[in-house]
Amino acid sequence: MKKMVKLIKNRVPMPELSVEERTKTFDAVPLGYSKEQAMSEAKRCLQCKDSPCTKNCPVNVDVSGFIKELAEGNFREAFLKIKQDNPIPAIAGRVCPQESQCEGACTIGKVGDPINIGKLESFLGDWAMENGVREDFAIKENDKKVAIIGSGPSGISCAVDLRKYGYKVTIFEALHKAGGVLQYGIPEFRLPKKVVDEELKYLKEIGVDIRLNHIVGQNVSFDELKNEYDAIYIGTGAGAPFFVGIEGEELNGVYSANEFLIRTNLMKAYNFPEYDTPLVVGKRVGVIGAGNVAMDSARSARRMGAEVYILYRRTKENSPAREEELRHALEEGIHFVELVAPTKIIGENGWVTGIELVKMKLGEPDKSGRPRPEEIKGSEFIMELDTVVEAIGTTPNRLFLRTVPELKTTSRGIIEVDENLENIEGVYAGGDAISGGATVIQALGEGRKAAKSVHNYLSSR
Amino acid sequence: MKNEIIRKEDLNPKDYLMEVKAPMVAKKIQPGQFVVLMTHPKGERIPMSVQKAENGNVTMFIRKLGKTSVELYNYKVGDHFENVIGPMGNAVEVKKYGNVAVCSDLVCGHAENYALCKALSQVEGNHVISMQTFPSKDEVYLEEELRGVSDEYYITIEDGSYGIKGHYRDILKKLIEQGKIDMVFAGGHMDGYIPLAELTKAYNVPAMVTLRPIMVDATGMCGSCRVFIDGEMKLACIDGPMFDAHKVNFKELLNRVKLFKKQEEIAAENYNKTG
Repeated sequence: MKKMVKLIKNRVPMPELSVEERTKTFDAVPLGYSKEQAMSEAKRCLQCKDSPCTKNCPVNVDVSGFIKELAEGNFREAFLKIKQDNPIPAIAGRVCPQESQCEGACTIGKVGDPINIGKLESFLGDWAMENGVREDFAIKENDKKVAIIGSGPSGISCAVDLRKYGYKVTIFEALHKAGGVLQYGIPEFRLPKKVVDEELKYLKEIGVDIRLNHIVGQNVSFDELKNEYDAIYIGTGAGAPFFVGIEGEELNGVYSANEFLIRTNLMKAYNFPEYDTPLVVGKRVGVIGAGNVAMDSARSARRMGAEVYILYRRTKENSPAREEELRHALEEGIHFVELVAPTKIIGENGWVTGIELVKMKLGEPDKSGRPRPEEIKGSEFIMELDTVVEAIGTTPNRLFLRTVPELKTTSRGIIEVDENLENIEGVYAGGDAISGGATVIQALGEGRKAAKSVHNYLSSR
Repeated sequence: MKNEIIRKEDLNPKDYLMEVKAPMVAKKIQPGQFVVLMTHPKGERIPMSVQKAENGNVTMFIRKLGKTSVELYNYKVGDHFENVIGPMGNAVEVKKYGNVAVCSDLVCGHAENYALCKALSQVEGNHVISMQTFPSKDEVYLEEELRGVSDEYYITIEDGSYGIKGHYRDILKKLIEQGKIDMVFAGGHMDGYIPLAELTKAYNVPAMVTLRPIMVDATGMCGSCRVFIDGEMKLACIDGPMFDAHKVNFKELLNRVKLFKKQEEIAAENYNKTG
């Protein structure tokens, strides 16, 4: 390679499903790079010596390393490089907020488009799946057993590493399908379920026992796990919805985003009546909130034929959603109503007919660094809607926690851990269960870190 | 994890019982708890009441009403369906209540009536009074079994074709007036809970009713089954399914169960057409 690299400011465009098609189908929006496109994009990488991308990655993927291999057409080597740090590239490449992580730190980003790291990562993940390329490792079995509660991102990554250390691993999953939020939360058009299923197939191949419909606290007690297993990892996520707590939430037509997404993703309500689970999506849907879950709900509703309004108390620029989700939502014709907060939901004959909103203005920055929204008194107005989806965040599910009073938790039900992610002896936790809600990649990183802690704990006994 | 159908019997022209192999559920389930079943991978998750759990099997009482319950009725003994998941929800506290009435006027309630009577009658100091209501004589079931697990039993038939004419609330009212009831458990028609709540509240008798709002996961994730208890939002799946009848906002509950009425008709119609 020559010393002087010609700077190409623009990304190789990602082919996407047309906006027209998108509003009719739940198929994936990005169509994926071809080999040639992926290599061209990879060739734009400057191969910075200090790799700011890697430093800004929660699991420190060797980004310039894998991109170098990819640029040279060594797909297998590139894939294996990612796998050293990230067990699920096809998923992370699709759902990580790259603009605030690797791509946010990319040097080219200062003068042009940052390298499309996320799409290169998912390209390699998909390529490996299509070509049956697997990470090759020999498992030296030992007879110690570890139980993992929850089959979401942190449980998956913890399971993979624990198997590599040689432990027998059993995952307990409450639902009838594995994958946690990847399965019930993130829609098909953003993360095709066949990608999730492939990753789970891989877990089974390396000997992880996944037990579906096992609800720890209901049909398996925590004590049974403690008796039967040498260590436990809790990756139960933050699966319980918050409601705003305003008048009218009992009305028909009001959904938590969790319900809306569980019905569409897990139960495939968009294929009703081929699938049995229904979902009533009206003609005018208001989504409260502007994070990724709000975008997922809004875009799902759009695909089911509704006019959709995102109702947000700050402005677009302050939306915590991934850049790509926000862009896709706007392209798909979703209206973004800025600087409004709901004060009550209005109904007639038990059904939603509208929402009362109060106008907001931006004040001084709050703890999150974003401007604090302040109510403009007397500015209330009514917007006609027939469906309201509340996407204002989730919290750990109290169903599990209340059966295990011995665990240390905060008053908000967040599981407390020390620097090794240990709660009580031999019991570790990570992911949204300890954060209250963060990213897939952070959960994944914590799953790996916990696996290491479990290994240190069990190998010293 | 597929579950095998061991026994299927008509209870009456509308209701049937289904006994399925579900060892994990059978081992753990307690009176008051319920299960969620799925017929096949494209099926919905629907809550079902359990009459009894023995020898690794769970016996559910089901009404042929919506698409899923009719579809399931067409399954044969020996067939497998997708899964029975549970137990879900909280168990009833099995303790000494004194004179305790257990009442039901609908299929799910009758199943629970049996489970509750059986458990409560084993506690010393309880006098268990079981009551059932049916619209007419040809719909009666479980009479003998309930007599066997209770100390006192009443059957009321709304058209007067058998037993005592009327509703169990009529008997309950008399017994309450005579000071013979310390505690009431009831399951069945949810609109009937309103007069029941009024009756028991007037005489200051505690009453617990089983709420069965629409559920999806039934593990506290979706909030579909939210009910308002003394103005506070609770989830029937993980905080219930039994609640203090004097605190439930029944008006909101009765509205919420109508959410998918139209879709239920579409599903049933579609099923009848395509099989």
